[in-house]
Amino acid sequence: MNKTMTTASLALALGAALTVAASPAFAADSAADKEKCYGVALKGKNDCKAGAGTSCAGTSKTDYQGNAWTLVPKGTCEKTVSSTSPTGKGQLAEFKEKKA
Amino acid sequence: MSAQRHFAEAVLAAEPLCPPGLMAWNGSDPARRFAVYRNNVMVSLIDALADSYPVTQDLVGEEFFRAMARLFVRTHPPRSPVLALYGAGLAEFIEGFAPAAVLPYLADVARLEMLRVQAWHAADAAPLGLADFAALLENAPALAATGFDLHPSLAVLRSAHAVVSLWAAHQAQDGTPDLTAVDPALPESALVLRIGLDVEIRRIPCATAQFILHLQQGLAFGAAAQFALDAEPAFDLPAVLGMLICGGAIINLCQPRREPA
Amino acid sequence: MTIPANCRPSQGDAPAFPVTTLPARGGVGLKPEHFREILDTAPDVGFFEVHAENYMVDGGPFHYYLGRIRQRHPISIHGVGLSIGGEEPLDAAHLDRLAALLARYQPESFSEHLAWASHGGVYLNDLLPAPYHVGTLARVCAHIDHVQERLQRRMLLENPATYVEFAASTMAETDFIGEVVRRTGCGLLLDVNNVHVASVNHNRDPRAYIRALPLKAVGQIHLAGFARDIDAAGDPLLIDSHDAPVAQVVWDLYAFALDLLGPLPTLIERDGDIPVFPVLLAEAQRADRIMRQQLAATAPAEACA
Repeated sequence: MNKTMTTASLALALGAALTVAASPAFAADSAADKEKCYGVALKGKNDCKAGAGTSCAGTSKTDYQGNAWTLVPKGTCEKTVSSTSPTGKGQLAEFKEKKA
Repeated sequence: MSAQRHFAEAVLAAEPLCPPGLMAWNGSDPARRFAVYRNNVMVSLIDALADSYPVTQDLVGEEFFRAMARLFVRTHPPRSPVLALYGAGLAEFIEGFAPAAVLPYLADVARLEMLRVQAWHAADAAPLGLADFAALLENAPALAATGFDLHPSLAVLRSAHAVVSLWAAHQAQDGTPDLTAVDPALPESALVLRIGLDVEIRRIPCATAQFILHLQQGLAFGAAAQFALDAEPAFDLPAVLGMLICGGAIINLCQPRREPA
Repeated sequence: MTIPANCRPSQGDAPAFPVTTLPARGGVGLKPEHFREILDTAPDVGFFEVHAENYMVDGGPFHYYLGRIRQRHPISIHGVGLSIGGEEPLDAAHLDRLAALLARYQPESFSEHLAWASHGGVYLNDLLPAPYHVGTLARVCAHIDHVQERLQRRMLLENPATYVEFAASTMAETDFIGEVVRRTGCGLLLDVNNVHVASVNHNRDPRAYIRALPLKAVGQIHLAGFARDIDAAGDPLLIDSHDAPVAQVVWDLYAFALDLLGPLPTLIERDGDIPVFPVLLAEAQRADRIMRQQLAATAPAEACA
């Protein structure tokens, strides 16, 4: 049987939440200088540099130009419990890069 | 066709092309020089995607990610000079990308990472203070019919895969994720919220995700809570409200914008 | 030969106020990696420069930090996305975003590139070259007039680093820039690294190139590092990579330019392989030293009086 949210239970829940939010433990946690802990993980994505190297130069920043797809995921996914699903097999050979 | 259209198409072309009308002082083949532009455009946009999708990249490895990103850039080049949110369509692209089909959870991980980037750059908004909520309690009969405006950075993702566990495992300080305890096939929901200057990602129960989504869609507090309770008898409303209030997620009280369906 | 840009009436009514009020000192490109350290240490640096597009977001840490850093330091805003050299009309929505950003941060200087990046609704995220002929000249001038009118301020235009030339060009780059400055009243951002890179790439004399520019219009200088490659004939092809310290050859060219120009706000640009902040600060201080030496060398009588 389903319970019903009454006005009283809503008020009770909000009251309980406020008690937690007003507790000294939470206040200490959100001290004004907490922003000191934060770095900025993202870069600005707009800049006016050029990637070093031409596509022929073989630098580390030069990206794969091939047309036929031969790669399989080879990252941390290999460490998961079920790292591959059978459904994906067999599709790789048929996949070719499509032109824009 | 205009000269810049030729140039732009050659920049993004899959095969190395060189637009007409280019030259070099020494009479050398301009295609080699033009390749600098091709490379700049492609590398910078792939780098932008790698910056937004670090866990997606870790999961498939850098080589696979960059090759996939190259295809994405070519088919989904930026439509705006503002690149902060570039690549929002990558999750959908992954869903249709056969070589990634072996990782059915990959698209949702990418979705979660883009929500994180969007939360970073979302508008600032001051949260409601405790006094505002206390005043709300004074008028308990109106409580059920009150709506809550949520912070612009807040997003909820419901996934059929263990997106939060997969993402969290990649946040290890030493950079070596421990995925042995993660079963990607277990469904999870994520709460994304910028708190202060940092974006937090938390795993939340399904009913909590429903509750927050209902509030976000403009349902009244009472109706949203009832939906969640119906879905999950163990729905812990005080804990959820505490989390939202402490995280500064509620920025205003409002008239509900929607009736229960 | 050149007449100060702000003495000439432009086609519009571009106001005659100075094109920049940055101090004639070394400045540093502002990177998120350094936000916290800059706020904590308040380094003695001439100014900070940001790329406009990185701050065209609604809120969050980028605005938080820039707002606080701006309270303490002069800033310049450097656009990379207006596509002033584009064949198509300027993106009005982008210009609106830019106007809002400038209104919010009130930078001492605003600059953009002699280049294009958008075509057919696609943004290519690179500074692409255009041929120098009367058609491009008319478009670039119209775009700069549009920008200056919308922003109600004069802008600085940066000379480009390019890798190819166009058979369709009928003017030298310096003549093209001179004509743009004359017609629009805009200022010039002299990127000394770009001068070196383009001079090597196109077998020009970099000193003659600088002398041929409308030098009275120069309001700011950029310095950066470049990468080396070769073209199909095996000749050097330099790339404007911004991922290395300023090269000695560029410092030398900078000193040459200062002899002609006097001290000017000078930015150290670094966009890749970002080092710790003191490394960039040291390069800005090197620019300060060169400016002091140049002042001392050109004003000996005053120094002895």
